[in-house]
Amino acid sequence: MALEFTDSNFEELVLKSDKPVLVDFWAEWCGPCRQVGPLVEELSKEYEGKAVIGKVDVEANSEISVQFGIRNIPTILFFKGGELVDKQVGYAPKATLAAKIDALL
Amino acid sequence: MAQEIDIKLLRRYSHLELISRQVVEGFITGLHKSPFHGFSVEFAEHRIYNQGESTRHIDWKLFARSDKLFVKKYEEETNLRCRIVMDTSSSMLYPVNQEASFENPNKLVFSVYAAAAIIQMLKKQRDAFGLSVFNEQIEFNSPAKSSNVHQKYVFGELEKILSIKADDNKKKTAAIDTLHQIAEQINRRSLVVIFSDMFDDISRKDDLFDALQHLRHNKHEVILFHVLDKKSEIDFEFQNRPYRFIDLESNLELKLHPNEVKKLYVKAMKEYYEELKIKCGQFQIDYVEADINKGFHQILMPYFIKRKKML
Repeated sequence: MALEFTDSNFEELVLKSDKPVLVDFWAEWCGPCRQVGPLVEELSKEYEGKAVIGKVDVEANSEISVQFGIRNIPTILFFKGGELVDKQVGYAPKATLAAKIDALL
Repeated sequence: MAQEIDIKLLRRYSHLELISRQVVEGFITGLHKSPFHGFSVEFAEHRIYNQGESTRHIDWKLFARSDKLFVKKYEEETNLRCRIVMDTSSSMLYPVNQEASFENPNKLVFSVYAAAAIIQMLKKQRDAFGLSVFNEQIEFNSPAKSSNVHQKYVFGELEKILSIKADDNKKKTAAIDTLHQIAEQINRRSLVVIFSDMFDDISRKDDLFDALQHLRHNKHEVILFHVLDKKSEIDFEFQNRPYRFIDLESNLELKLHPNEVKKLYVKAMKEYYEELKIKCGQFQIDYVEADINKGFHQILMPYFIKRKKML
């Protein structure tokens, strides 16, 4: 199950994580986000223990969205050691996302 | 100066012969049968509406529900993406001929013209095309687009390839690694068209087959144009006198009397090619033997057949 990141736990779970982190910025009303959602869920199972994978609802957590300048959704950010290292805007197939995580492992 | 791709020569192929042939066979009408039209094809993301921007692509339904102004963004409008993968290792410069041209090509020149003809056809159909060039590593990699500017850019790269001469630095073929890399890079379903003589390290042929299989993942369609000079490379037809054979990739020389090795050579090559064909069949890769002496029809027809299947 993919984690739910919020304004309050983002720093703890993402920026201070010692594993690579994938964060999917999404909203309930956005079609492409709903396409990406299940892929993120699958990845979270496949990479359990190796990487932290979670989602941010941009509606409910405007602070982080503004902090990272999220203007397009879905946007998927990749963090390592608290640093933003990669970014994917728009729908992308699972293999692309997996490859980006693999590059950080 | 770099040799230029002669558009007129290409047009002769892309317009007259093929188009007329296709019209007769009802090809063209078939090509437009795509159920997808214009936008709505690949709705990829929502973007915050910027003031002053055209209101055309605003998601009004979303605005009605939630008072939010978002714009729908789509992937480039296209029916098909095609990636042309070209091997420019030194062995492709065989048969060595300083004046290789459209009429009298070596394997590389032949591949460049065949690729250019395919690009010309893709462009007509508004399909997106990208080019990857490799030898020991990936030398050039363009995204897949369908604009005029992009076509000029890609043709420019192809023209650079035409100017490669046999005396330049020797480049080996590293098809295995590069095909893996290319397979990783193509993320949307594409038609992958490979031009190569497949002269990689023969002892690693299983790895080569793995690499080909890798390309088939993500449901890519693959056509392998196996470019060769059939007369000398497969049938080994040389005169009955001693020859000096030079490996174009490593400069190794071997003095031989063709008749002495002919049987062995023909048998080994045949086995390799048979295996390549069988593997391609297993992976559902279209294997096309492209003999540089047989003109361009043999290239374009398999491409069209494949193109039609993909719609």
